[in-house]
Amino acid sequence: MIQAIAVKLILSAIVAIASIYVGLGLKGVDRKLAARMQGRIGPPLRQPFWDVSKLFQKENIVPYHAVDWVFNLMPLVAFTSAIVIMLYMPIGPLKPVLGGFGDLILVVYLFAFPSLAMAIGGFSSGSPIGAIGAQREMVVMMSYELPLAIVVFSRAMILSSGGIEGLTLKLAIDPWSMVGMLGIIGLCLLLASLLMVIPGELAKIPFDQPEAETELAGGVLAEYSGRNMGMFYLADAVKSLAIASLVIALFFPWGISSYFSGLPELGGYAVTAWALDGAFFLLKVFLILLVSVTVVRVVMPRVKIDRASSFYMFTTGAIAAIGMLLIYICINGGF
Amino acid sequence: MAGKSYTLPIGPVHPALKEPTMFKLTVEGEIVTAVDVQPGINHRGIEFIGMRRNPLQVLHLAERICGICSIVHQYSFALASEKAAGITEIPERAQYIRTIMAELERVHSHLLWAGVAAHELGFDTLLHWTWQLREWVQDVLEIISGNRVNYAMYIQGGVRRDISPEVIQKLKVMIADYRAGIDQLCKAFTDDRVFRHRTMGVGVLTYKDAVETCAVGPTTRGSGVHKDVRIDQPFGGYADLDLDYCLPEKMGYENNGDTYAKTLVRLQEVVQSLDIIEFCLDNMPPGPIRWESNMTKLLQHMKKAEGEALGLNEAPRGEMIHYVKLNAGDENVSIWKVRASTYNNILAWTKMLPGCQIADVSIIAAAVDPCIGCMDRVTVVDQDTGKEKLFSNEDFYRASIRKTRAYQRKVSP
Amino acid sequence: MEPIDGDGILNLFKTRMGGAILSSHVDTYVNGVRKKKLQTVWVRVPRESLREAVSLVLEMQAPAHIAVASGSDLGNDIEVLYHFQVFWGFKRESTVSVTIGTTCPKSDPHLPTISDLVPGALITEREKQEFLGIIIDGIPDPRRLFLVDNIPEGKHPWRKDEKGVQDMVRNVHEGGD
Repeated sequence: MIQAIAVKLILSAIVAIASIYVGLGLKGVDRKLAARMQGRIGPPLRQPFWDVSKLFQKENIVPYHAVDWVFNLMPLVAFTSAIVIMLYMPIGPLKPVLGGFGDLILVVYLFAFPSLAMAIGGFSSGSPIGAIGAQREMVVMMSYELPLAIVVFSRAMILSSGGIEGLTLKLAIDPWSMVGMLGIIGLCLLLASLLMVIPGELAKIPFDQPEAETELAGGVLAEYSGRNMGMFYLADAVKSLAIASLVIALFFPWGISSYFSGLPELGGYAVTAWALDGAFFLLKVFLILLVSVTVVRVVMPRVKIDRASSFYMFTTGAIAAIGMLLIYICINGGF
Repeated sequence: MAGKSYTLPIGPVHPALKEPTMFKLTVEGEIVTAVDVQPGINHRGIEFIGMRRNPLQVLHLAERICGICSIVHQYSFALASEKAAGITEIPERAQYIRTIMAELERVHSHLLWAGVAAHELGFDTLLHWTWQLREWVQDVLEIISGNRVNYAMYIQGGVRRDISPEVIQKLKVMIADYRAGIDQLCKAFTDDRVFRHRTMGVGVLTYKDAVETCAVGPTTRGSGVHKDVRIDQPFGGYADLDLDYCLPEKMGYENNGDTYAKTLVRLQEVVQSLDIIEFCLDNMPPGPIRWESNMTKLLQHMKKAEGEALGLNEAPRGEMIHYVKLNAGDENVSIWKVRASTYNNILAWTKMLPGCQIADVSIIAAAVDPCIGCMDRVTVVDQDTGKEKLFSNEDFYRASIRKTRAYQRKVSP
Repeated sequence: MEPIDGDGILNLFKTRMGGAILSSHVDTYVNGVRKKKLQTVWVRVPRESLREAVSLVLEMQAPAHIAVASGSDLGNDIEVLYHFQVFWGFKRESTVSVTIGTTCPKSDPHLPTISDLVPGALITEREKQEFLGIIIDGIPDPRRLFLVDNIPEGKHPWRKDEKGVQDMVRNVHEGGD
């Protein structure tokens, strides 16, 4: 028992550290690519690492009017919850570390945690700019929860129809092979709406209203500095990895090692196959973030908050709902 | 948050404002209900300094009022002081060169504005693209004058440098390239659905408000007001041109005074500026470029002169006026009043901002193309006590000693 | 009213205001190769007639466009010049600058407001109050505009007497502490 807990703890620590590094690396790639698309040279790939190490060395200022314990606690909450999401995610060939302790519903709510922590932190900062940013954070969050929930439950519906417990994340199950033509169209719609949710979830242009630099001077993050700011920065980096992992777990849970035969093994473990699958996983993460974050934030301006809200509630929600309906018809009608 | 209003300060330093100024917004939820503009944070007392300098020195001081519309201040001051000193016969070639420089600056200023507007909307790609385009005109300005900003081209009675035939060739190449670039830029701004959504119907300045608040420049032309000093009261090379007001209706949009209309006005004006430069290059008369090429003689003339005059000019942001009074006994400029365009647009802000969303404040504020450095023309705030007081050298010295002692206590307990 | 040139405007002032005009003249300049005319009209009136003169400007074109008001310290008096642009937007080169000047003694530095006639004059009237130490009677918003609170009351940057700010200026080049 104790041994099992110790193994889990060690694995958790490895996943946490790895996801921080990968998340920051992805941020560096995103910044470089966005810069190149805008005709700039852009920062070096290591820039996010330097930023974080600098932030952690800086003075941590708590505003005079802030509720200081909430203000200081929230970055930690955001950061830890982002890490915990990663512990529930199947990472490439590896099963989720905490796979036995929760299901997809838990993960969906864990995704709300960093945003919630940011909003509470913004409210507790005692600054009107932070308060307006926090309000906007809540509005955006409530708007994209609907399509997100529809996507997750539709996928659960497919698995349940195949006799598998639908909400599990433990197994890498390919939903595409379990449905007919109509279901595949439905899955495409669901995938599209999930990709639309990503910029909102990560507060990136065009849905960066909570932080809107030119409107609110950083909004929820306006009063944060030093270590607290660094925590939010890390939480953001890990969250982008986590949301991409969610897309992979729900829609693209394939590896490529099975297509190769005779991969060398090391001491009875399929190390090469794992490495191959891990690299493929990173490639998938990169592609998903490229499509839904980098390209989108380069080609779009920021929209207004009411527009963002209606976009998620109605447009994205409708696309997801149609996808769900098609899948329902497919499963129950046998198309 | 319904029914509860609170004050949201935009400024004194805010990412939406490129220069320090202060907007105090009363906000209910996301809606702005009232606005108070409190400028003065960037007031440097340039008029005070200028009234203690001779006209040739002030010429260069005037240019340093603003970094973007620097040459129009020099233009206005040169016009006003040469009129006050009775220098009325400016060589025609000099008038044309003045016009070319002013129009080149308008091109770079409007492109800068377009980039800033895109940035205010979170459209950074367009910002970088626009500013890349702007680099060319700055290069050309550097070829002509040796500087990217603060060109030091004008002097009372003429200009300081001629434009050589080689430079004219380079200018023509630039203009041809720019026509294509501006075309693409227009498409980028007018075709983007989110840009249209964010600017149409936002920050509306009605025709009535525009004329009543005496607003100037593209801010008013967006509302369909026919105000443009280059056309109403042509000066210099503009007198030979047949210009027309740049109004949004020429691009198939109504003159409703919203931010989109103002964008269209500025985009048209860039093209118009290119036309003006081309005309001036093609028709540049030969001849001298100065009324008096000996600086000492010119200064002596200015010192003996007596009179008062206005220097009116159309800056990129609108009408600009300098009032200069020279007294015979006084070698300095006796009275110098600078009025930049943004000054007259303060009241327009108070008409445009109420009723908008917080998200629109930055683009509405930017739609005027505020030039705070021009409008405000130094003081220190004591943050600790919350009071503002004027610091003297002794105060700084004492504060420094206090801080050193505090550190000493910290380091050696 | 149809646009008239500078001399016409001056004649109008003379016929309507008559003896109230203290001094007046028209400056004419020529521009460009085609030598186009550009005129500025200068009219100086006592402060009692200021509002009448502004009303006359309004008669020519309403709403009037005020460019700015400039001011100067003449020693015993303070002079304020209101620079108007009339006949803007009619046709090419129709606009004439009309400057209406008035003075008030330093012992009684009061001037009537014109911001009810020309709403756009509010900003420049607020500036004149703080920079010249005059009082505009009836101004709707008498707060300071450009001067921040740490300039003491009774200090006015454009005054050339003891109310000026010369004594607050530190000339670094002169040394000292």
